This record gives sequence, structure tokens and C-alpha cells, in this order.
Amino acid sequence: MSKVFPKWTNALPLKIVVFVFVFVTTLLAGITYYVTPKYVRVGYEPTQPVPYDHSFHVNELGLDCRYCHDKVDQSDVANIPAADTCMKCHSMIKTDSPLLAPIRESYATGEPVAWERVHEVPDYVYFSHQAHVNRGVSCVECHGRVDEMEVVSHAEPMSMSWCLDCHRHPEEVLRPIDKVFDLDWEHPGGKQGQIKDGHMFVEERNITPPESCTGCHR
Amino acid sequence: MKRAPYTHPEAELSGPRYWRSLDDLSQSPEFLAQVEREFGPEASEMNEVDRRHFFKIMAASFAIGGLGFAGCRRPESHILPHSKMPEHQIPGQALYYATGFPLRGETLPLLVETHTGRPTKIEGNDDHKGYKGGTTRKAQAAILDLYDPDRASAHTKGTAKISNADVNDLLASLNKKYAASNGKGVAILAESSSSPTRLRLKKAFLKAFPQATWAEYDAIDATNAGIAAAKVTGNDTLQPKYDLTKASRILAVDADFLDEEQGAVQFSKQFADGRRIRSSKEDMNRLYSVESNFSLTGAMADHRKRLASSQMVSFLAAVALEINLGVEGNALKPVLNPLAGKLDAATKEWAAKCAEDLASHKGESLVFVGQHLSPEAHALGLLVNEKLGNLKKTVSLVSVDNGKTASIRDLADSIKAGSVESLVVLGGNPVYNAPADLDFAELIGKVGEVIRVGYYNDETSEKASYHILQAHFLESWGDGRTYGGDVVAQQPMILPLFDGVSEIEVLARLVGEANSDGYSQVYATFQSDNGNGGKRAFEAYLNTGFVEAGYKTSNSNVSGLELADLLKGFTAPAAPTSKDNLEVRFLNDATVDDGRYINNGWLQECPDPMTKLTWDNAIIISPALAKDLDIVAADSAIQVARKNPNKVRDGAQFAKVATITVDGREVTGAIHIQPGLDSYTVVLPLGYGRTKTGRVGSASGFSAYAIRSASAFLANASLALTGQEYQLAETQEHWSMEGRAIVRETNLDDYQKDPTWVDHMGMESHSPAIYGADADMPTQQKITETPRGGSMYEHPDLTGVHQWGMSIDLNVCTGCNSCVIACQSENNIPIVGRDQVRRGREMHWIRLDRYFSSGSKDNTEIPEDPQVSLQPIACMQCETAPCETVCPVNATVHDEEGLNAMAYNRCIGTRYCANNCPYKVRRFNFFDYQQRQLDKLYMGPLAPKGMPELVQMAQNPDVSVRMRGVMEKCTFCVQRINQAKIAQQAKAGDSDDVRVKDGTIKVACEQSCPTDAIVFGDLKDPKSRVSELRENERTYSLLGYLNTRPRTTFMARVRNPNPAMPDYHDMPLSKKEYKAKAPKAAKHDSHDSHSDSEGGHH
Repeated sequence: MSKVFPKWTNALPLKIVVFVFVFVTTLLAGITYYVTPKYVRVGYEPTQPVPYDHSFHVNELGLDCRYCHDKVDQSDVANIPAADTCMKCHSMIKTDSPLLAPIRESYATGEPVAWERVHEVPDYVYFSHQAHVNRGVSCVECHGRVDEMEVVSHAEPMSMSWCLDCHRHPEEVLRPIDKVFDLDWEHPGGKQGQIKDGHMFVEERNITPPESCTGCHR
Repeated sequence: MKRAPYTHPEAELSGPRYWRSLDDLSQSPEFLAQVEREFGPEASEMNEVDRRHFFKIMAASFAIGGLGFAGCRRPESHILPHSKMPEHQIPGQALYYATGFPLRGETLPLLVETHTGRPTKIEGNDDHKGYKGGTTRKAQAAILDLYDPDRASAHTKGTAKISNADVNDLLASLNKKYAASNGKGVAILAESSSSPTRLRLKKAFLKAFPQATWAEYDAIDATNAGIAAAKVTGNDTLQPKYDLTKASRILAVDADFLDEEQGAVQFSKQFADGRRIRSSKEDMNRLYSVESNFSLTGAMADHRKRLASSQMVSFLAAVALEINLGVEGNALKPVLNPLAGKLDAATKEWAAKCAEDLASHKGESLVFVGQHLSPEAHALGLLVNEKLGNLKKTVSLVSVDNGKTASIRDLADSIKAGSVESLVVLGGNPVYNAPADLDFAELIGKVGEVIRVGYYNDETSEKASYHILQAHFLESWGDGRTYGGDVVAQQPMILPLFDGVSEIEVLARLVGEANSDGYSQVYATFQSDNGNGGKRAFEAYLNTGFVEAGYKTSNSNVSGLELADLLKGFTAPAAPTSKDNLEVRFLNDATVDDGRYINNGWLQECPDPMTKLTWDNAIIISPALAKDLDIVAADSAIQVARKNPNKVRDGAQFAKVATITVDGREVTGAIHIQPGLDSYTVVLPLGYGRTKTGRVGSASGFSAYAIRSASAFLANASLALTGQEYQLAETQEHWSMEGRAIVRETNLDDYQKDPTWVDHMGMESHSPAIYGADADMPTQQKITETPRGGSMYEHPDLTGVHQWGMSIDLNVCTGCNSCVIACQSENNIPIVGRDQVRRGREMHWIRLDRYFSSGSKDNTEIPEDPQVSLQPIACMQCETAPCETVCPVNATVHDEEGLNAMAYNRCIGTRYCANNCPYKVRRFNFFDYQQRQLDKLYMGPLAPKGMPELVQMAQNPDVSVRMRGVMEKCTFCVQRINQAKIAQQAKAGDSDDVRVKDGTIKVACEQSCPTDAIVFGDLKDPKSRVSELRENERTYSLLGYLNTRPRTTFMARVRNPNPAMPDYHDMPLSKKEYKAKAPKAAKHDSHDSHSDSEGGHH
């Protein structure tokens, strides 16, 4: 029988076991890292039809988030501004900038500007902006420091577990209502101060973030 | 980590870069051609494709799919904001506009939900005092008509498309041509309408063309009441209008005023208000019903008499003879006596006792005569009402101006005489539904030029020279009147999808008005009718949706002498007596109406409220006739459910096919046996058997118009079996509760004697205490702590701010099915097609169970005079839900506020939950009903995929569209709950005022309910309406002994029979059956005896 199976085959079962173990572990580790929103989504930074510079408009000109995203506190979706919002200023300033051509064209023809979508949740997730910004959750918690971005990029993974982290510990992010659109703001008392005040806000505002399916899925 | 900016490839699409299906990927011409198709006329089989062929194609498709890893790219999507932001619009938030739903002589005030300019859901206008937000199933389904892929999409001349400008030229040339001849040679055939603008234009038309003919025709005719009122008052603008608000004794004479009569929504509200008792001390109204068909009004009646429609005049004469006719009695008695003499003794006694009860409630009784009955019947009804002192109290004669109108018979005579050169058919479908003896299809060929204005390309369009595309009422300006005469604004929600024009625009162009657009026309009417309030008054009118104009009540009296004169020439027809001498009653179909909604999938699949048939009509016959025909038992539905399991294939009813012959005309259809009909009356629902319609409506039922020559009923018909069988699609095979306490009913006097009777019915009256030692805990505590009682399981505490619950009052629910369609529209529920309904796979989240009870113990015979109990059933949101414990993947779990959540994306489709649900409310997507054509379901991935773009527009963006293999069920409209909570939170800001006020959330079924039988709210709030109702002594839990602790509770039904009546039962028949089922040696003295088995009904 030894003619059939040469000697080196004796070690084969062990090798197979080791190989399978290493392969499966690597595969799982790979999937966990590379195929989850943390890797796939964070850092996504598409080129927009008009290179709108958030940091310039916010820091240099002092625009509030709600100058353009004016329905964010009245609606579930934070609207992307219509061309006429841009034209409020740009009909007077930089009127012939080639970068603004798509805006002027949209304003003239009525055809929409096709902005690249950066943040997207699946169709079966119903997220509401107004429920968050009116209750003391700042834009920065989900969108990052947009006020410092020249090109908007995806800052947070926006996975379900990431949502739930916050829904389980709202005290870590709740802030005074007047600081919601101040992306620069941090609790002067540091993390400890934030948690202490956060608990107070949870109490005062009767914050009960839903942790069950119906909160987001309909 | 920061990565280089990601640049997408060029935006223009040369082909799909990622694909949703293999067919999509291949982009074959066949696929692209078929993408638009969704519904097919007939069910299909897998046999078309053999297995080998299937694998061959699959293999090939996968090979293509592997090329280039096209599917691995990140889906790129765009946000397309407006160029200029429209006023009032907030992206993501719904906007509501007031409008009206026109149907014949009535317009229903509506509020329509729109999302970014597209209407998605129809709601009633809560502000109107008469309708109070109630709607009908037909109004609810109008959304789907708007987005029907089969609707006409272009103006045509013959088969060639013509433009809007061509249509304008055509109408202008007609105007020019006939202005010269004073209108000689032009005729208009329209449907009746309540629109003041149309009336104004009609008058303008007849003024401009004095010799023209304006004819109106409705397949469902309601003009007889007016003819009668004109005769007995001498004023030909008068019409009787009923008001049930103060009516405590109501006699419905062949009148289905809760469902099919004009004003039904308003009547339902008024009727329900007279029955909505909150304690045993309150009194309620009493309804008598005499009818040939078994209608929903008959089902609600406290006393019901079966009688052929032709006998109604005699019946009314018998009633009239029993009341004090005063001095006119001398003239009337000689004509009334021979009429009443035609009735048998039992009917006469019934009429006498009923008349006695009416007479003892003078001024608050009402005789309601069905709109299809003859002028004689209406005139008699008016007389009786006057003698009972009901005029101006429960019935008023109001002045309704409708201009000069000819009938379709006048028009037919003119056509025969050759005096019609141009015929404009405004809406309607006369070639399909005109009286059979006119042979309209041939007649219309004799007219030189037929211009047809219609929504669909139908039978009439085929015969027309021009088809002018009519806009949907949600796309056009208009107006109309409610039953009481209030003027309702009809605003467009969206620009016409296909360039259609409205009826009033066509008329305005025909009479040569300068500003012929709909808005100007409606504005002009408003200004002339309501004083010159200017734009501001008009905007207020659009904002509220109506002005309370009301018809003017007349002081005219009913003349008994005129009536005697009218009745002198009338001989009472003989009653039908055998199967060779049948009476045929034609019925406005409960779902497809006169045929106009045949292509509406929601309505086709909505079960008929009484027969529970979908997708087809049937020849509806009584059990007595079935016996005569020797088809009794073995094939009737009642036996299918009980005795003959071999006949149940795929859960469908195999019906005998028969041919019915009247006056030498015949029609063939399937027989459905329905208890409660007059023994020798055959009921034929109209509206089916269309020869030219869309994909949903074709091959559906038979056309009863083929034999309908004159009125709503015909004598001397005969019926013969053909020997064939047809499979009807029915949603409820089970007809009876068989003595179980599912719907709990009692009589009013019993209720007064024992206010807590409801707790003494059903198993839970002597099963182990459900709440154990905590039985006396207040409701608000019970629902949050869910005490364990006798249960094995630990129950979780429900911690939410709100605890949702629902109460359904069976005493006022009329079973109209409006909630079914409202739910379908709100929750994106698919239709599944006839074949799937036959297999019991309909997807409705809420259904109406209809039970017959005869009082006998075993129900082996089909009862002739059953009582009907109706019960809406949706997910009960059990606190200790049996479905949750069996789900292997936690796809159905409880949320903090007591909702039984269903996470579609977790569901893997084991269907364990549906098996474990005692209420049978869970629905499974056996196929991708939303994405696949219904006639190609069994072809699986080989069939084309995708929802037509037009149908996509009808979907509610706030609700997920479910896919194949997923379980779904009622969610208590969780989207509405969440929206209300979010709105409240946004309002609360940094305060703690997060509790939603009672009444803010109206779930879809509740909103549409014409009787307010459904109340939804927060049980944690002891002052909410639902909490109060839950504390009511009539409240019970369905199958409560299972310890499911449903959040939806029912309020038991109370009947109010008159002990003096010959057909008095001292308890409702279902309760009698329940008691009869009880074991002989009942030991429980303090309880009513229980049923031996409960549950598992459908």
C-alpha cells in the first residue's frame, strides 16, 4: 500500500488543517476589515459637478449650515440646495466663473444639477434629520467636520451598529440646542463634562432613542 | 485614513453598469419591450419552460454575468435638487391638498397626500361636517387609476395620434360649424355630474346651440326619485334628500344606503352616530330592511325581509295602508289596496308591525327608497314620509337645478331619425353599458362623426372617429357638489401625465369660451355663484376644499291625490315564483362599479363585501333556487367549507356555469350561492365582461349589460346549467362561526339586563385568569408591566413613552372594505392576481370576515334568512405575541411601545410566525408580486422584472416595498406613528414634551372609515379615546383565552330588534348557535356556557 501513498502524505492532514485554519482566519479577518462600512464607506470622496468648498463658505464667509440646507430642521431629509439658493449670491459675485457654469445652466434651464450622493443609507432605513438636530444632536456626529472639508468626504461608517452605539449612549453626544450647528464646539469640561451634562439633557428632554426595529425600519 | 478622491466614469449611460437582474443586464429587445408589462390577463404555468431549458438559460446568463465584474462597483447615485425651489415644498415631507372625488351626482371631499408633486394617498377631508373624513373603497383606489399603465396615453383620430392643438382645432371647427346651424345636428352624451362649472357650461352650450341635444346617461341610474318628486309636488327641480341624524326608526326599501346609494358615506356616519352606544343606558336606532339582494345595509339591519324588487311598490303600499293617511286616505285606499293585496300574509304582517313602529316615532322615522326603484315606489315613499311627519326632518325636498336634459332613449330616437351628424360622448362608455335593446354599438355607427372624450381606450373609443384623452380628476381643475349640495373644489395634484384635457375644458372650447383652461372656468363659476369675493375668497375655498352652499330646501308638500293618479295606471307585477319565472336584479358592482374600475387591480382584488368574490362576477342565486336546480349542497361554498373537501382544490370554489335568458337575450356565467336573497331573484353584478380594456380587466367575468334592457330589474328570466365548471376566486371559504364567540352579539334588551354579558362569552370566561392576581390592575399599568398571570413566560416591561392600541366597534362597522383599500394604498401592498387568490395568497393586511348565522346547531343546511356578522381583522399587535417566540432570526420582535415589529430585512421566510398566528393575519410574499408580471410568476427569473415607472409613482415613499420570500403584516401604520413622534420631538426641542397628543395619528384604516368604527391611540394616556373605549363594558379580546393580550380589542355588537315583529329573535342567531354548541352539562353557573373549540378561522 505504501506505493499508493508516498511518505510525504503522512503530514498532509496536518498541513491541510493548518492551511484551512489560516485561510479561513485570514478570510474572516479580511471580510471584517475590508467589506464593512468602516472601510468601504469612510473616506468616499466623489468629484462633484461643482467643486463647492464647504470650509471656505463656512470659515471665510461665515455661512450657517442652514443657509443652504434650510429644511434640515423641518424635514426628515436635509435638502441639497436648489440652484436658486446658490444664485442668491452668485448672481452678483463670480457671475462668470466657469466652475459655476452648471449652476447657472440649471437656473436658466430648470434642469437639476446632478450632485454626487456621498452619504446614503439603504432604502429600508428611515433616518430623520429633524428628529436629531432639534433635540441636540449636532451635524458633526454623523458628517464629521464638514466645516473643514474642501471636498466633502464620508466621515463615519453609518453602519447599524454605529447608529445603535449612539442610541444606547445618547449622553455622549447631546449638546445644548444652540450649539447643534456649531461644528467646532466641544464641551468645555471635556469628555467627563460632556457625559455629565449629557445625562442631564437626557433627563430634561426626555430623550428615549429607539433601540428596536420600528425606530428606523418601516 | 485618507484616500485619493474617487472619480466616477462619465455620467451618460451607454448601458447599465450594474444591473438588478440578468434580464436587465442582457438588455435584450424582448426584455425592454416587456419591462412595461406587469399584469397579464390569465394565470400561467411553469409547464411552458422545461427544466433542461431553464438550466441552459441560467448557465448562459451567469456566464455573461461573470464578465468584467460589473456588479462590484459602488452604486453611484445622484441627488437632483430643484432648479428653483417650489413654494411650500419641503423635500421629504408630504404636502396635502384638498380636492374632490366625483362619481355621478356626488363629489366626495378629499385631502390628497402628495410627495414632491406626486399624489400617493387619498384621504377624506376631515373638516367637512357631513362626511367627516370618510371615504369609499372606490375613492381610495382612484390613485391607482391615475397611474394605470394601460390608460389612454394620446389623443387619436382613428389609430393616428393627434396633438393637443389638433384637438383644439377640432373643437373650434365644431363650434364654428354648428353656430351657423343653431346646433342642429350636434348632440352630447354625457354622464350625470354634480359640477357647477359643468352645469354652467351645459347651459351655455344649450344657449349657443338651441337645437342641439344634451343627453345624459348613467348605467347606474338615480333619476327616478326626482321624477317621483316632480309628479307629487308639481315642481320638477325637486329631489328628496335623506338625513339620518335624527332618524331613530329607519326602513330601507331595497336601499343599500350604507354602501351603494349616493351619499353613502354621509349616511354611514349618521347611522353609526345613532348606534354608537357607550353604555347600556343609551338608546340606539333601529333599522328595518326589505331587499332582494343581500346588501351591507341588510347585514346591519335589525330586521330584514327578503322580497323581490318588483314587489317593493306593493310593500310600500302595505306600509302606507297601516298609517294614518288623513283626508287623502279616501282617494288613496282604493289604489293602494289592490297593490298591497299582491303580498303574502307573512309579508303583510311584517309590513304592518314595521309601520306601527315607524308611526310611533313620528318625525324621527324614515322610509328610505332605493335609487333604482320605480317612480311609483319613490312617490309612495315620499307620501309615507310626509304622513309620518318626517318631511324637513329626516327627508327634505331640495331644489336641484340640472338644466335641460334628454335621455339616452331620446338621443337614440334622434340618431335613428338621422338628425345627429356629430356626437360628442363625454366620458361614460355607452357602447358597453347602454340598454341592450338600443343596440348602441350599431346605432353609433350611423352618426357621421363621433368624438369621444374618455380616460381609457375602450369599447366606445373603438367606434369613435376621435378619441380625446380625458385627464384624471387628480390632474385637472374642476368642482362638484356633495350629497347635501356643498360645493367641493377639485384641484389638480400634478400636471396631466399624458396631456389629457378635462371634461369642462372640452366643453369650454366647444362653446367658444375665451379662457378655456380649467382653472379659469372653475374660478369664473365660483365668482358668479359665490359673489365676487375675488382671489382671496377663491383661495380660502381651495384651502378648506369646499364651501357650505347646500341645496335649497323647498316647502312643497306631497300631494296624495297626484300619487293616487300616478298609481292608478300602475299594475303591480307578479312576484317571481319558480326557476322558469325568475326576476333578475342588476347591481352596481361593489368594486368595479359600472365597469369603469375594471382595470384597477386594487378594486379587482378587493373582495365583494358580501360574496367575498374577487376578480369575477357571478350569477348570484338563493339556496332555494339552487335546490330547484339540483345544484344544492355539493357545490355551494358553504358545503365546500364543510362537507366536500374533494371540491376544494387550491382553496377555491368550483362553481357550476349557467346561462340566464331574458327576452331572448342570454348571458353565461358562474353560479354563486348566496343565502339571504329573495328565493327567485337572481342577482347579476354589472361592470364585468369588458371586451376592450387594459391587462388587469380583460377576461374578467361576464357582462350583465348584454341582457339588461330597461330598468334595474327584469321579470320572466330563466336559468339553465351548461354542465361546465368555473373556478371562482374567493377570499373567505368559511361562512360560519359554528358557535364560537368570535363576533360577540346580543340584543339591546339583554344588554340592558346584563351589561357585562360580553365577559361571559368565550373560553376566557372560565379559563385560568389571564392577569392572575393582577386582574384589577388599571389598564395603563397592565399594558406597561404585562403581568405574568398564569403564563409560563416572563413578560417584558414595555417602557415606551406611548403604548399603542386600537379599538374596533363592531356595532357600527358596516363592512364596507374602505379600510382594505386605504391600507393597500398606504402600505404598498401588492395585488397577486386571480390565480394566487384562488390559492389563498392575497396580501391584504386588513380583511373583513363575514359570517352567516342561522341559529341552528350544526349549520348543515344553507340558511335562507341568516344574520350576518362582519369583523375587520388585522394584526392584533399581541403583547405576548405567539409569532415572536417561533421566529428563528428575531425578524419579528416587540418594540418599546407595544408594536409587534416586522423587520423585513431580517426575515428569511420560514413562515413559522404565520403558522403560529391564531388570527391568521400574516401575509407571505410567495413571489415577487411587486416586480413580476402576474401571469408569469411561475417562470421565476426567466420572466421580465421591474415595476412600470407609472406604478412606481403610486408607491408610498415612507414604507418599504417588500420582496419575495418576506413575511409582512399590519404594522399599525408605523410610518405614521414615527412621523407624528418625530414632528412632536422637533416641536419639543429642549423640553420634555414628547408625548404625541391623542388624535394626532390617524392610521390609514381609521382615517378612511366612514363610520369611525376604528379608533387608534395611546393606551398609556388614560384620557385618550382608545383608553376610554378599552374600559367600555362591551370591549373584549378576540381569542383572549390564548393569553395573547392583543392590543386591538373589539367592542361587541348590539342588535336592536323589535319584539313585536314576526321575525323577532330573543337573541342574535350567532349567540343562539353559540349556546346550542354548549355541552349539555354546563357546570359554570356564573358564566354562559362555552364553545368546545375556538380559533383557527379564516
